[in-house]
Amino acid sequence: MQLKNVKLIYLREMRDQLRDRRTLFLIAVLPLLLYPLLGTSFFQLTQFLQKVEARVLVVGTRQLRGADWLPPLIQDNRFDLKLFDQPEWHEKIELFSPRDFPELADDLRKGRSLPVPGAAPEASADEAAFDAAAKELLDSGKVEAVLVFPNGFEERLSDVRRALVEREAADATAFPEPIILYNSADDKSQVTQLRVEQILRRWRNEVTAENLTASNVPVEATTPFELRPRDMAQMQQRQAAVWSKVLPFFVFIWALTGAFYPAVDLCAGEKERGTLETLLTSPALRREIVWGKLLTVMTFSVVTAILNLGSLGMTGKFVIDNLSKSGAFGQAAEAMSMPPLTSLLWLSVALVPISALFSALCLACAAFARSTKEGQYYLMPIMLVTMPLMMLPMSPGVELNLGNSFIPVTGMVLLLRSVIEGQYALVLKFVAPVMAVTLACCLLAIRWAEEQFNRESVLFRESERLELGRWLVHLVRDRQATPSFAQAALCVAIILITQFFVSLSAGMAGDFDFAFLAKALLVSQLACIFAPSMLMTIMLTREPAKTLLLERTPRWSHLLAMVALALALHPVVVAGANQITKIYPVPEATEQIAESIGSALDGAPHWLLALALMSLLPAVCEELAFRGFILSGFRHVGHKWWAIALSAVAFGLVHTFLHQKISATMMGMVIGYIAVQTESIWPCILLHTVHNSLQLSAHKLAQAVEANPESPLAFLLGGEAPLLYRTSTVLICAAVAAAILWSLHGVRYSRTAEEQLEEARQRSDSPLLGA
Amino acid sequence: MIEARNLSKVYADLHRGPFVALDGLSFSAKAGEVYGLLGPNGAGKTTALRILSTVLQPTGGTAIINGFDVVTQPSQVRAHIGFMSANTAVYDRMTAWEMVEYFGKLYGIEDERLRERMELLFDRLQMQEIRDLLGAKMSTGMKQKVSIARAIVHDPPVLIFDEATNGLDVLVARSLLEAVAELRDQGKCIIFSTHIMREAERLCHRVAIVHHGRLLAEGEISELREKHSQHDLEDLFFDLIRANEQRLAAGATAG
Repeated sequence: MQLKNVKLIYLREMRDQLRDRRTLFLIAVLPLLLYPLLGTSFFQLTQFLQKVEARVLVVGTRQLRGADWLPPLIQDNRFDLKLFDQPEWHEKIELFSPRDFPELADDLRKGRSLPVPGAAPEASADEAAFDAAAKELLDSGKVEAVLVFPNGFEERLSDVRRALVEREAADATAFPEPIILYNSADDKSQVTQLRVEQILRRWRNEVTAENLTASNVPVEATTPFELRPRDMAQMQQRQAAVWSKVLPFFVFIWALTGAFYPAVDLCAGEKERGTLETLLTSPALRREIVWGKLLTVMTFSVVTAILNLGSLGMTGKFVIDNLSKSGAFGQAAEAMSMPPLTSLLWLSVALVPISALFSALCLACAAFARSTKEGQYYLMPIMLVTMPLMMLPMSPGVELNLGNSFIPVTGMVLLLRSVIEGQYALVLKFVAPVMAVTLACCLLAIRWAEEQFNRESVLFRESERLELGRWLVHLVRDRQATPSFAQAALCVAIILITQFFVSLSAGMAGDFDFAFLAKALLVSQLACIFAPSMLMTIMLTREPAKTLLLERTPRWSHLLAMVALALALHPVVVAGANQITKIYPVPEATEQIAESIGSALDGAPHWLLALALMSLLPAVCEELAFRGFILSGFRHVGHKWWAIALSAVAFGLVHTFLHQKISATMMGMVIGYIAVQTESIWPCILLHTVHNSLQLSAHKLAQAVEANPESPLAFLLGGEAPLLYRTSTVLICAAVAAAILWSLHGVRYSRTAEEQLEEARQRSDSPLLGA
Repeated sequence: MIEARNLSKVYADLHRGPFVALDGLSFSAKAGEVYGLLGPNGAGKTTALRILSTVLQPTGGTAIINGFDVVTQPSQVRAHIGFMSANTAVYDRMTAWEMVEYFGKLYGIEDERLRERMELLFDRLQMQEIRDLLGAKMSTGMKQKVSIARAIVHDPPVLIFDEATNGLDVLVARSLLEAVAELRDQGKCIIFSTHIMREAERLCHRVAIVHHGRLLAEGEISELREKHSQHDLEDLFFDLIRANEQRLAAGATAG
């Protein structure tokens, strides 16, 4: 691939897009206008909101005016100023009395004779009249709340005071309480009700304080102590916490939408305009064309995100400044401020890989589409897939750990969040997995896009009528010797889905014993893995033996080499697993399950049976599925290492626990390589079985050695730092394993048609150096 | 120069079953001649030419162009051919000069030499007025000139024209044919597909007649006329087609 051509194509596409005035307007000018417009509207809205008033009708205040020992509640049609936390509300709440509503005044005054709670609940006509009048006022919006002090309220207060001052026991009879009527369906009414409640509570505290002082009891009798929380987070941290949740999400959304429309235009649009065929007859490689277009889409993605971010930032700064000046939101406005500069810097850095990922994804979908119309429809599925991934980190409890860092977009968002919050140590730990996954997804998407540029049915817009029946018949009748790439991918999906449903329907056992473990394993291996792959092999391939790699008899040298390889790999794998556990510890739940599995195995009737269950059964089922059907299908991609990698990842996904997944993927690479080079499934099964058995037995043997220090294995496994797992042994074993694998390197193995074509092209199709 | 060996192309179609677009097509063309590929619509001409230009992959057989195999050495092949069809459009938002320059650079011509070559081409094809005209604003004739310039900017030894006169009026079509004749006289190997017999008679020395993906007849026009005792190429063409259709019908009922 020549960078010169990529650059040529990139520059041409950029110039082409920039000459399209409408696109430029949508991408560049619109955000610059949109956010200030939104900001101004928002600002005006807040100004409008500030004018909201709250009107409260108060019934029965006359009795309160009589008692002069009571702290003041109402003065001049407003609640007393001292009762408010936020002084600005003092003016906003306006008080009315029944006199102000002459038509309903009679009914309203009846509120004073509301019955005492706990007394006989007979609905009197008076009550009904009062309720109707109050409801009418509330519904019509003339008042936001109604506060009623029934008759006898002041009497009760005085009783309590007297009892306290004269140290007499008061009668614990039911007594009238103030009632607040409001309309919860109306926001204003709800807010008013809350305010009035707050005010009355304050007033109640003042009455209590008054009473206690009058009876020579210290006020602290009711509140012996106060609790004062003190926030240790610095202002920056608090601000960062707010922005770290919101910013990555928005920036990624802009990056996605900024990538989508150019991608559709560059691929599907070019097909429609007829210029694609012209480009395809030039010496530019398909890969160069894809990369040139990818860089164009990435540029648009990054620029869109930055322009939107900048415009929103400017507007935000303006709005926040003005809000805090006008004191509209009070404390809230102080807590909000512009995100710190370092966050913005990190955001820009993270923008590159994320827009690469989104651009590759959009380009792949756009290349697959046959027309711009079809291409536009793909935005919805892309959003449906990426939005949950972006929103997942916003839920509480989702944090940056090993499991989450392997999820494509989510890991990136979490990483970015940690960076914005300044947790650099944490970030360093997880940068590698997140970047690796992002890069892998990018490359996969790019490879898919390249493939689309080669597929004729997509290039030349041939339409098909979808007829399911015919298509299914065609699949079986016209099946090939080995499965296609798509069929292999489908098999992986079916295995994962079956596993999911089986795990849902499996209940928790009463006893986690060997019988239960055996049943669980049999079901998960046979039903979830063996059955789907075997069924698909029989139905969709013409040569099942070739697909499952059962055709060739394995060489004895290979089989022996596999046993040696398994032995050599054991210390390496254990050492590797230990290293990984050191950096990313195993969660406790997983350890507990591992322990229960261990003890279940102890209860096996015979240890060979346990080994057969945990080693032989999975080996056979998984190898036939993953190195048989699935690898044979993936090999039609044209590069054996891509096929091996994909089958290894699929193999890893099928395992339950995270650390198992990682070691399974790496093991899958080795076994896949062996499957390709030896062209037989038997070495794979052998390697898998021996490897699993060693893993299982090592623990047992170590325990046996501890119990019996004289045993012959003591020198390998005994002591604090067993010989088997020391660094020197590990290195030697690694070298041995590498040597065994290298010896397979030169073996002649058969290639698929696609691999042969690729190799022929690599050999003879070198880039030209001038016409 | 161009050698097609047993080219086959089979499409899987749900309705028609496996559809054979090309069935073992073999022919060859030399330098300094225009080789005509004649046939009705749907004969497989476009498929064959797309295979020659490496845009499609054959399902069987191969083709050698200037010593390079279209299947295993596609980018080498593309460096040595110029392809023009009714489907190869010009970019809406590029000027004529920019478009030809873009492809010139993709063909790897250095800047100075490219500029000289383009000046020469623009003069010869009388494109100086449309030099700075955007593609969207060009007439059909202008677009066609740009396409020709684009196809020959790198002076390829092999040229492929796929129904290039489709949709062109008589004047413009005639000027295209003159340009092709000129290129032939320069020693290029040209393969020219059409379904208009007059063009073939004017331009081609040797032709191949294709129907339903199979080669019905091949050779110099004069020889074909003698062999089938038909002076008019169009009548000759009809005879061959009819005979083939009868044969196919007989085969279908028998088989």
